[in-house]
Amino acid sequence: MATSIPRVEDAREVLKKHKIVIAGVGETEQGKIPNKSSFQFLSEASKLAIEDAGIKKSDVDGLVTAFSLVEHTFMHCTTFADYFGLRPRYFSSIAIGGATAVWMAAEAAMAIASGQAEVVLCVRGDNTLSGISSSGMVALIREMCHAEFEFPYGLTTPGGYALAAQRYLHEYGLKREHLAAVAVTMRKHAGMKENAMNKEPLTIEDVLKSRVIAEPLSKYDCSIISDGGAAFIVTTEEKAKTLGIQKPLAYLWGMGQGYSHQYLTTLKDLNQIYNAVESSGQRAFQTAGISTKDVDIAFLYDCFTITVLLEFEGLGFVPKGEGGPFALEGRMEIGKDLPVNTHGGLLSQAHLGAMHHVVEATLQLRGEAGPRQVKNAEVALVHGNGGIVSAHSTILLGKQPLS
Amino acid sequence: MSEKATTQSGGYQKPLPEFRPETKPFWDGCKRHELVLPKSRTTNEFFFYPRAVSPGEDMTQDIEWVKASGKAKVWTFAIHHMGPTPAYKNEPAYVVALVETQEGVKMMTNIVGCDPKDVHIGMDVEVVFDDVTPEVTLPKFQPTSK
Repeated sequence: MATSIPRVEDAREVLKKHKIVIAGVGETEQGKIPNKSSFQFLSEASKLAIEDAGIKKSDVDGLVTAFSLVEHTFMHCTTFADYFGLRPRYFSSIAIGGATAVWMAAEAAMAIASGQAEVVLCVRGDNTLSGISSSGMVALIREMCHAEFEFPYGLTTPGGYALAAQRYLHEYGLKREHLAAVAVTMRKHAGMKENAMNKEPLTIEDVLKSRVIAEPLSKYDCSIISDGGAAFIVTTEEKAKTLGIQKPLAYLWGMGQGYSHQYLTTLKDLNQIYNAVESSGQRAFQTAGISTKDVDIAFLYDCFTITVLLEFEGLGFVPKGEGGPFALEGRMEIGKDLPVNTHGGLLSQAHLGAMHHVVEATLQLRGEAGPRQVKNAEVALVHGNGGIVSAHSTILLGKQPLS
Repeated sequence: MSEKATTQSGGYQKPLPEFRPETKPFWDGCKRHELVLPKSRTTNEFFFYPRAVSPGEDMTQDIEWVKASGKAKVWTFAIHHMGPTPAYKNEPAYVVALVETQEGVKMMTNIVGCDPKDVHIGMDVEVVFDDVTPEVTLPKFQPTSK
């Protein structure tokens, strides 16, 4: 029966018609880099992405930014447009925590598909490690939980994830080793990435013996904090040709979001989280017309080791409770069943939300990932997570146009 | 407008809740050492944390405060070795837990009155009130006395 109510399958036609692509990527140096401001990192990353695409700054007519944990702005996107000397006709700031970077690509695509812009710069940068004050850090931890009903009990952000991890280990009869394996894999991958902060090899034993933060999570179960910036440029295949972009293009195949809760207090059970992840992934898969078995390489938000397992299972790569054993068997490594976060992720490379996940997915599909290159990488999935496994976003990228 | 409990009397330096009009009855109850929970009069369902409007499909503002049993089970917990503010600096490890009350809502809390190592999922706990400042009483939970 004909209906005028848009469905997710319609997005497939839109993506097929317009051939939305990521046409340029850039990442600045990552690490402890004092004396560079948040807006400097944003500018440097933007310049790198524009140069990577080989276009002019004035070709950019859309801007999607996120937020800063250091420089608090009321209107982040336009504040940056002013700083960088950009005059976009479409602009937006996305603030859904770690789900932001992935959704930047989706929002840019929707802006392009509705004729609002043709070349959208998506950028995030921050001097989080060097620039955040101790009171700023406390404010951030406070905001990550319910200030009135959770924070007074001394709940921390790692503690929130530890609550999820404890329940996960309990329900599936798993051990800390299963979490630790994720950290070990990320570190192994970061060792092959030049622009990574932590490259020293790590063993399961090292993770288990590292300083306990919030049981069952210890230091190496937690992501790093870093300074740096990263950017990517979203446009259409045709516009890329018009602009003479030479780089191989990464095609957007699908996108979706999923919401579980904001505060753990209102979480019913682990299934609520799985369902949110599944809903996010499912809409991306439905749009692309593919399934998990078609994915060659996955980029999963890894703010903590537990996050990766919940996402991996929620997305349907393995049944619930089997992500831990999958990781422990080393099957997330490059060259194995399904390489995850070939750049080392938030656990070992750098922490800029999922910006580097999107950048690395693009590099892999281009065949430009150097020693980390996954052979025959045709389809990549990128998943972002904001809050305490609260807000989810997924995109699928292909080496070829969606057919 | 939030009514800020700013008094750090008795040297209490840890984070305190800021009351809102819709949450005040909860904190007033705690001060009387009574655990009261909000319940929609339309659906007869408890919810937590307190809101001015029921988060259910009913969206009602007809909310009743009901004295709870104070009994709960530990749903999950995390032994914190690092706290969120400088006030926790020399604090021994403490247990932050999500407990499920008999009324069916979850509450974030601390498990007190036992060794953190003895806390486990499914453990029976009961409410105990901690008067942390003259203005603020935090409901916490301890193992149920047999």
